[in-house]
Amino acid sequence: MPLIEINDFSFKYYGAETLALKKIDLTIEAGEYVVITGPSGCGKTTLCRTINALVPQFHRGYIAGNVVIDGKNTREHTVAELSSIAGLVFQQPENQLVTLNVEKEIAFGPENLGVEPAEIRRRVEELIELFDLEHLRDKHPHEMSGGEQQRVAMAATLALKPKILVADEPTSNLDPKSAEIILDFISSLNKRDMTVILVEHRLDLVSKDAGRVVLMDKGSIVADGHPRKILSQDICQDIGVGVPKATLVYKRLKEHGIDLNSVPLTGDELAGLVKEVSSL
Amino acid sequence: MSFLEVFQYTRQESIMHSLDPRAKLLLAIVLAVISLLFLEIFPLLIILAVLIPLMAAAKSLRRWLRSMKGLSVLLIFILIFNTLLSTYPNPLNYSIALVLRLIALMTSFSSFFLTVQPDELSQALIQMRVRFEFAFAMSMAMRYVPTLGQEAYAIMDTQKARGVELDKGNILARIRNIIPIIVPLIIVSIRRALLIAESMESRGFGASKNRTYMEKLSFKKRDWAVCIVSLIALVLVFYIRLYIPLPDWSIPL
Amino acid sequence: MIMMENVSFAYDGLYTALQGVSLQIDDGEIIAIMGTNGAGKTTLVKHLNGLLRPNSGRVIVDGVDAQHYSVAELAREIGLVMQNPDHQLFLDSVEKEVVFGLKQLGFAEDEIKERTDRTLSSLGIKDLSERSPFTLSGGERKRVALASVLATEPRVLALDEPTIGQDARQKEKLADMLLELNKKGRTVIVVTHDIEFVIEHFSRTIAMASGSIIADGPTSAVLSNDEVIRLCSLTTPQLTQAARSLHTLFPDVHERLTLLSELEDEIVRILGGV
Repeated sequence: MPLIEINDFSFKYYGAETLALKKIDLTIEAGEYVVITGPSGCGKTTLCRTINALVPQFHRGYIAGNVVIDGKNTREHTVAELSSIAGLVFQQPENQLVTLNVEKEIAFGPENLGVEPAEIRRRVEELIELFDLEHLRDKHPHEMSGGEQQRVAMAATLALKPKILVADEPTSNLDPKSAEIILDFISSLNKRDMTVILVEHRLDLVSKDAGRVVLMDKGSIVADGHPRKILSQDICQDIGVGVPKATLVYKRLKEHGIDLNSVPLTGDELAGLVKEVSSL
Repeated sequence: MSFLEVFQYTRQESIMHSLDPRAKLLLAIVLAVISLLFLEIFPLLIILAVLIPLMAAAKSLRRWLRSMKGLSVLLIFILIFNTLLSTYPNPLNYSIALVLRLIALMTSFSSFFLTVQPDELSQALIQMRVRFEFAFAMSMAMRYVPTLGQEAYAIMDTQKARGVELDKGNILARIRNIIPIIVPLIIVSIRRALLIAESMESRGFGASKNRTYMEKLSFKKRDWAVCIVSLIALVLVFYIRLYIPLPDWSIPL
Repeated sequence: MIMMENVSFAYDGLYTALQGVSLQIDDGEIIAIMGTNGAGKTTLVKHLNGLLRPNSGRVIVDGVDAQHYSVAELAREIGLVMQNPDHQLFLDSVEKEVVFGLKQLGFAEDEIKERTDRTLSSLGIKDLSERSPFTLSGGERKRVALASVLATEPRVLALDEPTIGQDARQKEKLADMLLELNKKGRTVIVVTHDIEFVIEHFSRTIAMASGSIIADGPTSAVLSNDEVIRLCSLTTPQLTQAARSLHTLFPDVHERLTLLSELEDEIVRILGGV
């Protein structure tokens, strides 16, 4: 049974004029690394929130269809119940750090669910080590950089030991280097069997690690497949999605009649492919 | 506003900082009550002689002095006006005592706020049976105060950059100019609150009636000592106040 | 023309944000300012319109020391669009927001109407003019905030991180708009992290780190310097990475900064295009 099953799911926020999600069909197996992207307003943010039941339990509206996460239908289970299955990391670190130091922040989730104090302490220590937060242990959120705050936010989300990590544009407010660090963390989590769903505009940073790209536009899924297959299609540019530059070069070369053997997602891949073709 | 410095928590290693917040709360209340029992200079000076070392024990003597400096204008004002307008037999005496009492009261409470981390305070309240939601709302408010302050400054900068002149014009104009600051501040705060709620909800906030706590506060020997000493002192002072006449140490006008 | 002469500034007299910054911006330039968070980019830009005044050194606008002007007076010449549009929206219609900005700077009634219509149309939000800004999407709110400043047609337009959270199409539209304004003679200054955006559209880049300017010159020179990339917490853009990798494989390929079309041409040349 797939970990995430979204069946014919539609959603309209109360007071909205149009559907935020239109008949979404999406199945995700355990261990996948899925990138969701699309122009502003395409519904990717709403989609993230369906995975831990914020939609429809917290964000009320009209729903049709079903979302089943690890066997639990989100119509019938609370966000709290799903919090130990799917963890959500949001765009603004400032709004995710609600306590006054890192230890308390990481402990927040497990405390809410009534986990044994000794176990909470164990998890806190584990996560501080995993995310390299030792030097930040007693710091106030204000004393940290955006990248550090986001690492703490991720640690706090993982304290509930979810199987799925959903990250909604976690690097938007970070400088490129910090963004890379966060994305590397996410990628390494995936290598350790965490199912990852990442909403990201910067496809040049994530497409090389992702196993799957889901393209959304105006509330619907318009493409779904391997990054190399999806990002080379014209639909990306049609809807206004920022395709990696190396992939764009691949497409332009095709117009010149030059066919590289596969679709490059990074500068190095492009160079390698050119070398291959040139030595033919 | 600098006099508020003495009520702001600072992270430090000191004897006072290491005491349980509940013990410190009792201490502060006892000290405040004692300060309120007297309006004579001599006893108040003794009280201050106890309080100042307490400030030193909290490694906050300099802060205290700075705050007192910030307050000095107000204190002198009180002194002068009370001396001139008072109907008491010895006005100068009375005024000095008033000022000393004010200082004693402030210092008593500052011994609490200076040394108790908001998180500790929240935990203390919870262990004193206050509902979790309320205690947490309080510590969250404290956590977000600097953020809100920054937001307010950013809004002021943004509006100033559009030509809004916040410090010009008569009273009416200045009040009107608060609107471009307050409205965005409120809206931004509401938006932020919704996002924070999402994050908290996603981590199970409010899910279980049996919320656990990783670190619980527990009384150590010295906390018990502080409590017992405070209570004994309180009883003693009450006794003195009620039954023992005090030497008259007034300053002749 | 704006000049900064050895400007130093510290917040609350404690936190040094700018150290001895000197630069010159001529009319009609289009400049990007890059650097880590905390490097001083926003602090620098706030000195241009008087929001902040130097602790030492001078800011000179068109030959006159800026300290003789109030922020409101400088706002006529230098329009600063801040990062968060929600920090400025407070009225109940998009049109009123734009009108407000114009009224504050003392424009005449008839001019106000005309400018408002024109600006809203040029940003594609004319149909939203009666809507309350609070009900609009994030991208639309950003455009309203931008419209409010653009309507006053300042000679210098400075934008603080305008590309954050924008999708590719929105960024393209923004770039087009900025280039068009620049063609009409306006000076455009953008503070940003987005290195690809800068390489594609900005001829001059100022790089900052720890409150000082570490590089100031043609974008291709400044951003192909690895030290600058490192100090500004940036990452090497894909096309440059490709050019460098190609260079190791084909030594005659230039390994400096490249635009898409340049790389395309180079590869076609290597492979003997059809």
